[in-house]
Amino acid sequence: MAKWGMVIDLEKCTGCQACSTACQMENSRLPGENYQDVLYYTEGRQPTPQLKWFPRPCMHCEEPSCMHVCPTKATYKTEDGVVLIDWDKCIGCKYCMIACPYGVRFYTDEKALIEPNIKQVFKGDGDLSWNPPYKGPQQDPKHGVGIQPNGVVSKCNFCYHKISKAPKGTADLDESNPELVEYVPACVRTCAPKARYFGDLDNPNSQVSRLISDKQGTRLLDHTGNKPQVYYLTGGGAAAAAVPGTRANKKA
Amino acid sequence: MATQTHGSGAVTAVMMAGLAGLVISLAIAFTNLVSGGHSAFNTGSDGVSWGLPVVNYVFFALTSTGLTLVASVAMTFGNKAWYPIAKRCVWLSLVTLVAGFASLAMELGHPFRMLWAIPLNAQLVSQLNWMGIFYAVFLVLGILKFMRIHGGDWNSSGSKQIGLAALVTELLAGGMLGMAFGAMAMRPMWYGNLVPLYFILTAACTGGAFAVLVTCLSYGGPDNMPEPVRKLMQGSLPMAFAALLGLTILVIGYRTVIGLWSNADGLQVWDAVVASPWYWVEAALLIGAFFLLLQRKALAVAAVMVIGGFFIDRYDFVIGGQLLPLFKGSWVPDLIAYTPSTTEWMLTLLAFSIAFFGWALGEKMLKLDAAPQD
Repeated sequence: MAKWGMVIDLEKCTGCQACSTACQMENSRLPGENYQDVLYYTEGRQPTPQLKWFPRPCMHCEEPSCMHVCPTKATYKTEDGVVLIDWDKCIGCKYCMIACPYGVRFYTDEKALIEPNIKQVFKGDGDLSWNPPYKGPQQDPKHGVGIQPNGVVSKCNFCYHKISKAPKGTADLDESNPELVEYVPACVRTCAPKARYFGDLDNPNSQVSRLISDKQGTRLLDHTGNKPQVYYLTGGGAAAAAVPGTRANKKA
Repeated sequence: MATQTHGSGAVTAVMMAGLAGLVISLAIAFTNLVSGGHSAFNTGSDGVSWGLPVVNYVFFALTSTGLTLVASVAMTFGNKAWYPIAKRCVWLSLVTLVAGFASLAMELGHPFRMLWAIPLNAQLVSQLNWMGIFYAVFLVLGILKFMRIHGGDWNSSGSKQIGLAALVTELLAGGMLGMAFGAMAMRPMWYGNLVPLYFILTAACTGGAFAVLVTCLSYGGPDNMPEPVRKLMQGSLPMAFAALLGLTILVIGYRTVIGLWSNADGLQVWDAVVASPWYWVEAALLIGAFFLLLQRKALAVAAVMVIGGFFIDRYDFVIGGQLLPLFKGSWVPDLIAYTPSTTEWMLTLLAFSIAFFGWALGEKMLKLDAAPQD
């Protein structure tokens, strides 16, 4: 069984947000509630401030605190290493949102993050939070896939509706391989500068494993002990990209 | 010990006020929640996830724990002088727990799903799971204990065992609630292995405050109190309460200084907490109440001051721990802005109304001043 993971090369990432847009369309997300977000921030002061950006999906941790705190086991980890939410079990207590160190979870039944509130324009059927004009994958509440229902928490699912159908034994889900492209997560598939890689972390011959090994992949907020399965490549040298919060560990 | 007549004008007034608060808060909160869902709250995925309704829950659930502690002084630890307030405390511990649950239920996305989802899928390493179990078990044990003493069975072996089990369960529940916050290593303001102890200590203070307040209200003042009650209220109770409160004030002070002193990322929230006038209102209320208790004067006023002070403390704790954005906090020093909405305040009114209406109803109908005859 694979242990799916992602590598993001910060030296290649241009901050174009195509990943966010693709994710939003694929997963029927509301504006502002992106499973995959690109965070912008400034470093330094005048006269030499720098605009920086940081792409941030769910880290699908090896030791996910969100899973451990969930009183109903609605948040769970699959055998192939993906952290998912069973919307049919979620009671909306939001303890997982409290316990996630990365702020990647969304409770949609609240004020819209971006106005105007598009939920009022495309009103949801039944329990669904809204009815987007474009439709993503089929509704699969057991795996937290589809349009988010009211009263539950949601998060990035590594496009589980895609990756779970990949042929067994696949080392890397490479968007340049025509036979595998339909199984590649939307953010990886759409990344124009090819800054994202997705594959089996347990396979030493996978490209993700080799990149992590060769380029000293680092993990976000590693001190929390959550052990993310998303790794960042920062390169080296003075102008290298940085992983916020783990800058002290960056290769000199 | 003979039971006293009850039902002073103050009890009636509190009952009517509680009923009015119940109707008003339910009408407004239900209207807003039905029409707008949880958008009626000012909580958000990019801000504070647990808002004022959770503050209400923590405040009242821990008050329930504290009231059980106060009741246990007589019923478990054998100090007979405390019997005159024991039955009242047991009843109030049940009512305040219901008040806390009511606020929490309004905050959950699927409160009814919780009833089957937790028992069928219990996550054994989740603090919320165990907290729910312990408080639910206490609710049953507390009701059983109250039924026993209401029937005059104060000292049978079975009654004592139920009382002891209820006390242990409440302590475990309150401690587990503390663990729910204290285990969050990613939120330094909350993190720490002594948080459960802090919760139980402060629970005893709010429990003591409610016990003193409703006892004063029951009799309309010391002059109307029967001798055993007056003796307790002028003697060991305010002294024990003062000692507990003094210790708690010290702990709050130490927590504040450590929070201000440390450079750990996440603890800069303490700067904002201390900069808020509400922190100093809390300090004034608690310290003022401490001196009133020491002088055994204006006990009802002191109790109200303690309740007010600790409500602010719960607010600062629950909300403060979320004000520094997670992850973004490593480079964005700004704090999240959060002000509770009208609907959230209505849930606070709802919880207080349930607590006081429930107490007054019990005072009228259940002879809460009863005590063992021997």
